[in-house]
Amino acid sequence: MMSFVRKPEFGAIAAFLLTYLFFTFATSGTGFVSVNGTAGWLNLAAELGIVAIPVGLLMISGEFDLSIGSTVGAASMIVALGTNHFGVPIWPTIALALMAGMLIGLCNGLAVVKTNLPSFIVTLATNFIVIGATMGFSRLIANVTSSSIVSSESAKLLFAARWGQANISVLWWGIATAIGFWVLSRAVFGNWIYATGGNLQAARSAGVPVDRVKIILFMATGFAAAFVGIMQGIQWNSGNSTYGMGYVFQAPIVVVIGGILLTGGYGTVTGIFFGTALFGVISTGIFYTGWNTDWVQLFLGVLLGAAVLANNYVRRLALTSR
Amino acid sequence: MRFVKAICAAMTMSIATMGVTLPTSANDDGPIIAISGPLSWPFFAAVKQGFDDASETFGLDYQYVAVTDTANMTSDYPRLLQQAISRNPRMLLVGEFFPDGMDPLIKEATAAGIPVLIHNSGQTLWEQNGSIGFIGEDPFQMGYKAGEIHARLGVKKGLCFNQVPGNPTVEERCTGYVAAMKEAGLETIYQTIGTGDATNPQAMTQAIKGTLQANNDIDGIYTLNAVPAMSALRAVDEVGRKGEVIVGTADLSNEALEAIKTGDLAFAMDQQPYLQGFMSIQIAYQFLNFGLQPIGHVKTGPLVIDQSNVDHTLDVNKKHAGVRGAS
Repeated sequence: MMSFVRKPEFGAIAAFLLTYLFFTFATSGTGFVSVNGTAGWLNLAAELGIVAIPVGLLMISGEFDLSIGSTVGAASMIVALGTNHFGVPIWPTIALALMAGMLIGLCNGLAVVKTNLPSFIVTLATNFIVIGATMGFSRLIANVTSSSIVSSESAKLLFAARWGQANISVLWWGIATAIGFWVLSRAVFGNWIYATGGNLQAARSAGVPVDRVKIILFMATGFAAAFVGIMQGIQWNSGNSTYGMGYVFQAPIVVVIGGILLTGGYGTVTGIFFGTALFGVISTGIFYTGWNTDWVQLFLGVLLGAAVLANNYVRRLALTSR
Repeated sequence: MRFVKAICAAMTMSIATMGVTLPTSANDDGPIIAISGPLSWPFFAAVKQGFDDASETFGLDYQYVAVTDTANMTSDYPRLLQQAISRNPRMLLVGEFFPDGMDPLIKEATAAGIPVLIHNSGQTLWEQNGSIGFIGEDPFQMGYKAGEIHARLGVKKGLCFNQVPGNPTVEERCTGYVAAMKEAGLETIYQTIGTGDATNPQAMTQAIKGTLQANNDIDGIYTLNAVPAMSALRAVDEVGRKGEVIVGTADLSNEALEAIKTGDLAFAMDQQPYLQGFMSIQIAYQFLNFGLQPIGHVKTGPLVIDQSNVDHTLDVNKKHAGVRGAS
């Protein structure tokens, strides 16, 4: 039992179960725990979760990425302008959007490892640059900052299919989690991530290619953000340069709730998964209670604080008692 | 250390001079500055389109000033206005989005002899702050009209969904909606969402779905933008009450117009943002050259778009992208 308690994800799992139980009672009779209600919060969590997995790995390696917000919007606009304005079939524009996401990640990664500047600042700058460029070019090309998307059946199947009310994004979230889990706990690359974030100098002298680790993780984050942008665009038949702006801080928040240290070197993918699920339950469940919605953010803030305190306690337990 | 001190001294001096460089009168060679909304919103993209087209038509140069980051608009807009005033402009075309910070500055400008024309927001203030006029909608009237339509269509309990809580102009629409519904003796619910989710259609869908589940007697929804309107339609569908809940919205998008065509969306309200920009420049041209001006409030909205006139709107939208503020 104590060995389970000492795991980094324990805090997130416990908080998730408690919160879910709380909302089960607080929303009784409104169908929050029904199949459709569950599909609702899973849909919300899934889109955030796909971005949160690579963001979490990046944070374990000791770096931040705040440019995800504008990458989501940029990807949706690439698909929208490509299909609607230039009349290109959707698949090439999807490929282009994913490449753009990875390119943004590559720029972030190179800028961070070459300059040694804090990634918090570098990627915050990228966030403004990308959303500014998206709007500027959209206005220049088509005189719009949001645009319809001309989709195809195959694209809709992969990005917007639904079973009942659950989106295919839930499946993609599961796949992203599985990949993240495998990389971090089974692959050599996972050890490199921990080593890079835990002690950079030691990792470097032990022969870990720390720069490459960071650049790859930045690119994976850009890819995931672009993927979610394409998904939102196809799902809502519309690209919008402001999609995803909420993720800039929501993604790090769920990662921290999941037990990852802001300073890096510590955390698990299971933790990120439950941190995201917790966020989905809170931000959806509160509306089923019928309470005054002005309190939503207060509630979120209190839970975030509680989760971080709990994690801190768990971690101290893990590091001291034997 | 001496270097740091020098910088500090220079900064203090420049801050001090910034405070006293308010102009004593309008400069005939100064720029015409438009302070308007963020271009990331299709709505203001259409306003700017109107500014640009009129600027070309009348051969009058102007500069468009707006925030790019919408996180701190309440404090950013007064700052932008302050900077514009200190540049000795020939005329100011201002969207008075945040009156608490902006109104005192407008009074300073008009007292200094700078002509100010208000557009979009500030409909209750322009007569007191010395501006020459106002072009735009009255958000209260816009919401009121939506409430009237809902009441006429037989809605018993209406939900007003505000995706940007804290913006007084936008909130005023819900206030108007609630007032109209109340006068008709009907119930309303006011709902907001966390600020981080204002641009996340999935989050808005789930929020509205939750509220519909918690209050299953809601039979009308009024959204304040076209993006949440699409979320509301999805939410109504997901709770299995399609056709029972009447959804209407403020502002337009291509998707919203298509939804009106299919009958899913009952109405959208257009405040014709293009006209707000175009007429601002037109009035500026006529005022600066001939001393002419319209007397009183120039109304650009609400123009109600429903199944009777949606086809033409969609046509215009295809031919002239961005003009309708819908894309």
